[in-house]
Amino acid sequence: MGGEGEDLEPLFDYRRVQPANFVCIDDDDDDNASVTPIPKKAKTSKTVDKLDNVVNVIEVTGDDDWLLPPPKVIFDKNKESVEDSTIKALRSKKLELMSFTKTVADVMQEVEESAKREMEASLNPPSETADEAPPEPTIDRPKIVITIQDKDEKKQYRVFADEKFERVFKMYADKVKLNPQNLVFLFDGDKIDPSTTPSQLEMEDHDMIEVHTKKS
Amino acid sequence: MASGIARGRLAEERKSWRKNHPHGFVAKPETGPDGTVNLMVWHCTIPGKAGTDWEGGFFPLTMHFSEDYPSKPPKCKFPQGFFHPNVYPSGTVCLSILNEDYGWRPAITVKQILVGIQDLLDTPNPADPAQTDGYHLFCQDPVEYKKRVKLQSKQYPPIV
Repeated sequence: MGGEGEDLEPLFDYRRVQPANFVCIDDDDDDNASVTPIPKKAKTSKTVDKLDNVVNVIEVTGDDDWLLPPPKVIFDKNKESVEDSTIKALRSKKLELMSFTKTVADVMQEVEESAKREMEASLNPPSETADEAPPEPTIDRPKIVITIQDKDEKKQYRVFADEKFERVFKMYADKVKLNPQNLVFLFDGDKIDPSTTPSQLEMEDHDMIEVHTKKS
Repeated sequence: MASGIARGRLAEERKSWRKNHPHGFVAKPETGPDGTVNLMVWHCTIPGKAGTDWEGGFFPLTMHFSEDYPSKPPKCKFPQGFFHPNVYPSGTVCLSILNEDYGWRPAITVKQILVGIQDLLDTPNPADPAQTDGYHLFCQDPVEYKKRVKLQSKQYPPIV
């Protein structure tokens, strides 16, 4: 923009200053070149002022807009400062309250963290030992929980997925004190063959088995 | 998208059913001869309620779900010719909660439908008859009606 302005200014100069320098500029080369620069400079500065005045409407208004706000802000501040007595009091109270909540939150966090640390500290040693024991069996033989439901209640059993149903059926019969031969176990409406396993029936964790009692 | 919603919901219904369902009921999606599961058709069993003339019967019911499920209810069918005032000759169950214009809400579960139909067995709705045979006997000949119900319950014995 600056470069263009410099290029354009002389052109404008000539036209606007025409009444004064018209003759010299158009016809003479050497003399004018030596003569004109001095008035030019003076005139350009004048014309810049003029330009600014003219352009003010379009371009410089932007600058005015940029320039004006600060006083507004200052005015606002002044106004605020006039009204501030109550606002300041409120702010200071708010800050006080904020600091209170912060301190409360900090205290709570510290308590929680310390509690967590204690929990971890107390849990870690046993969990490590507990973890060491189960992994081998669980990897070798996945266990699932099945629910056995009769008409009145449900019982949950943890069984090996690859273990025949015989064992859990017998456990159940012993518990309800009934002859296993009088019990029929159903999965999805189909009778379960005691020699099959949960994994063979594609049973999932917490699947439900129904027990029906033979009436004969 | 519709089928995705229907199948997703049905997969969830099946999952929760496997974990918990009322005793004596069965509800499982159709399995094709090649082992593929069709979630849109379920084969169910509804036990007759204890203490009623329906006790001892295990009534087969098929649920047909549309791609618009659960916006629309499934069609529930007993075997053709099932004896009940609110069952059409085709076997289709007529029940308010299974009517999209009346009681159906997308939140109704498969479990609630089956329990609802079990309730309907012993408490027919004479205001909404679906077959002449069952309706007339229910209204005019309670003794014969009772006899027919007990007979039908024996026709659907437990698998046990």
